[in-house]
Amino acid sequence: MSEISITGIGVISSLGIGRQAFWEGCCRAQSGVRPIRTFDTSSYRSNVAASVADFKPAEFMPPMVYRRMSAVSRMAVAASIEAVSDSGLDLKALDRQRVAIFMGTAYGSSSHVDQFYLSLLNEGPRGAQPLLFPETVPNAPASHIAMFHQIQGPNATFCQNDISAEVAMIYATSLLALDVVDVALVGGAEELSEILFACHDAVGGLNPIQAKVPEEVYPQPGGGIILGEGAAVLVMEKRTSAGQRGANVYGNLASDASTGDLAVMGHYAKSGDPVLKTCRQAMAQAGIKPDDIDHISASANYAKELDAMESEQLQRLFQDQRGALKVTPLKYLTGDFGAAGATRAAAVLLSLYHQISLPAVTLSALRSNQPDPLKWMPAQSQKLTNALMTSTTFGGGSASLIFTSAK
Amino acid sequence: MGRPVAVTGLGIFCAIGKDLPQFRTNLFKGTCGIAEVDLFDLAGYSCRLGAQIRDSGLRERLPSRQTKRISRCDLLGLIAAREALQNARIDMQKMDPSRMGVIMGGGAGGMLSWEKFRREIWQDQHRRYASRVLASAPCTLTDLIASHYGVTGPRSTITTACSSSANAIGYGFDLIRSGRLDCVIAGGSEALCELTFAGFHSLKVMSPEPCRPFDRNRKGLSLGEGAGIVVLEASENAVKRGASALAEITGYALNSDAYHMTSPDPEGMGMVRVMTAALKQSGTDPGLIDYINAHGTATKINDKMESQAIERVFGDEGLGRIRVSATKSMVGHCLGASGAIEAIATILAIDQQMLPPTVHLNEIDPECRLNHVTQTGIQKTIRAALSNSFAFGGNNTSLIFRSAGISDQV
Repeated sequence: MSEISITGIGVISSLGIGRQAFWEGCCRAQSGVRPIRTFDTSSYRSNVAASVADFKPAEFMPPMVYRRMSAVSRMAVAASIEAVSDSGLDLKALDRQRVAIFMGTAYGSSSHVDQFYLSLLNEGPRGAQPLLFPETVPNAPASHIAMFHQIQGPNATFCQNDISAEVAMIYATSLLALDVVDVALVGGAEELSEILFACHDAVGGLNPIQAKVPEEVYPQPGGGIILGEGAAVLVMEKRTSAGQRGANVYGNLASDASTGDLAVMGHYAKSGDPVLKTCRQAMAQAGIKPDDIDHISASANYAKELDAMESEQLQRLFQDQRGALKVTPLKYLTGDFGAAGATRAAAVLLSLYHQISLPAVTLSALRSNQPDPLKWMPAQSQKLTNALMTSTTFGGGSASLIFTSAK
Repeated sequence: MGRPVAVTGLGIFCAIGKDLPQFRTNLFKGTCGIAEVDLFDLAGYSCRLGAQIRDSGLRERLPSRQTKRISRCDLLGLIAAREALQNARIDMQKMDPSRMGVIMGGGAGGMLSWEKFRREIWQDQHRRYASRVLASAPCTLTDLIASHYGVTGPRSTITTACSSSANAIGYGFDLIRSGRLDCVIAGGSEALCELTFAGFHSLKVMSPEPCRPFDRNRKGLSLGEGAGIVVLEASENAVKRGASALAEITGYALNSDAYHMTSPDPEGMGMVRVMTAALKQSGTDPGLIDYINAHGTATKINDKMESQAIERVFGDEGLGRIRVSATKSMVGHCLGASGAIEAIATILAIDQQMLPPTVHLNEIDPECRLNHVTQTGIQKTIRAALSNSFAFGGNNTSLIFRSAGISDQV
């Protein structure tokens, strides 16, 4: 039986600000992908991303608190505020040395790194902006969360490309299981910046879409990734303590697994074995079989290499000869970013909590060169007990998490 | 407590040692690796010093297929990882790769490569080298080590600035003691780059002379670069394969000051708490600690706070008995790699039963009244030792190592 419960969720996403707006956006299969308005995209092969719109940090914290924070830190702190409030935890009544913060981010504040380096290039060492430098470290968002809530327990940030948030969650389960901490605020945050966009454009990774109207964009699988941004924080605590205080439980984390395999820099593990291995390990740990899984959250991100490989491995795992299996590739809606795992976990937990399945596509639809536009099957009420979240990143890492319903 | 965990291999590449024997010799001799940096243009800086690795044949140290397109940071890390595995006498053919993991601590990673790419955009150069972008992610070294050695277990990259690689070693310890893995390659790597050099320069914390931790006349830190990698194994497995333990890792703790992005808690309470928690979690009586490898950056505030914190944790008895040194005075502040490099210095101290010194410590600051080791190494019985790492963002970590086979009795 799972020992870890999730009792609070906070989300800042391209689908909406706050947990409820995010959930409603998920249920509608609303795309967060839109033409970029925050910087000039004319020199890039793409002009779309899943950017966070209408986020007002003042709705979460006083301006004095966030004035020097980067966008990624602001989103992270805001998500943590919502998650803590949602959990009903009275932090002041807790031993805050036994409360942890673990965040995942692939690049942290890429905009602050860029602005600081530009100030150096433009004005030389004496013109370099000291106020920007502290925000260039990837652990800045987790440190701001600690400062805001006065949480003095273990604090760490994980950078593992697209599975950064998943790796943070796995570390949290480890410290909860080892009884080092009682509660952990776990999640991820990432910001979209022009330099990040330029870097992905330079390596040829972006989906070359040039959208003309400011409407939601629904790309085709296999065309290349769509960048996203956002933050999500989960409150994880021991099931016993959640039960004792009568907390509202979204779901339980039944098991986690991570593996890796040989991969060329910038590419996914060719064999695809890690996907299969981590899923099997996670299911074995949870004591369930493929038939027991009611929902699959895939890490497909429109990249030809990943989506085809993941589709093939899930087909093997579930022995789905026709490719008719339903999967939810949430990154098709929210874009891809280092913290996407936290956002996906939030969606899975909300789905288990509401007993409403997330919109899904067929496994075969993840493969590129499909003749028809992607068809989303709508969200619907359904008995959901076990959900598998599989995640894979370029560089060769893979992680799987199994969440179970608390009902 | 879980399974005992042994350190069976070390690998290092830094300004005072291009391999373990050279590092060991220079560490105990008190050799300073801090000199003028020429890795990038330093015009306009008031400080031009750093512990830079000088090796014109750096890329030839590994087969060319391994070094193609990788960053300086990852190159240093791969060299150190190779040495660590050789030092541990690991034969990958005889290991179960799925029971092995790679946990690295990252700092600026391949920033030096990214800076070249960014400069090309800034100069509006038409030709841009995309490979420089690929080499810049903080987790590239983790993936490269795992791929090169066929490690298929969990991999993670921790980025908590200056405590990153200390945390990586701590996480590796957890993975083995909990039974999840049998062997972990842990550590970190850092290369000097313009961004961090300009960043610390803009904060006015860099010393115009080689840094002198705990000295009354200290003027700030000296940056450095290097890689430190350790091989951690379940002690029982190490014994079975006939490997000798250089030391045991018995515990660690990490926490947050929750106070300020760049300044430590003025009472040093985060430091006090992390050392206390590490001692408690490792089941180590403070009376067993004979040596502390201090974070010792040589900034006014860090050294004072750290001294006060050590005093509060170990009391007057400990203050007089426990010897303290800051090896950053020789290798510079290697940021993401510093925790691992200092862990290696601590493990070598235990293995050799010799204390490394703080060099340039001529006049001990009365506010840093610790039992310092100065100028050169000295022989001493070291039963257990503690290594501190305190970072930007208020991230603190303490690691505890013990001489293999030492009992819990004080």
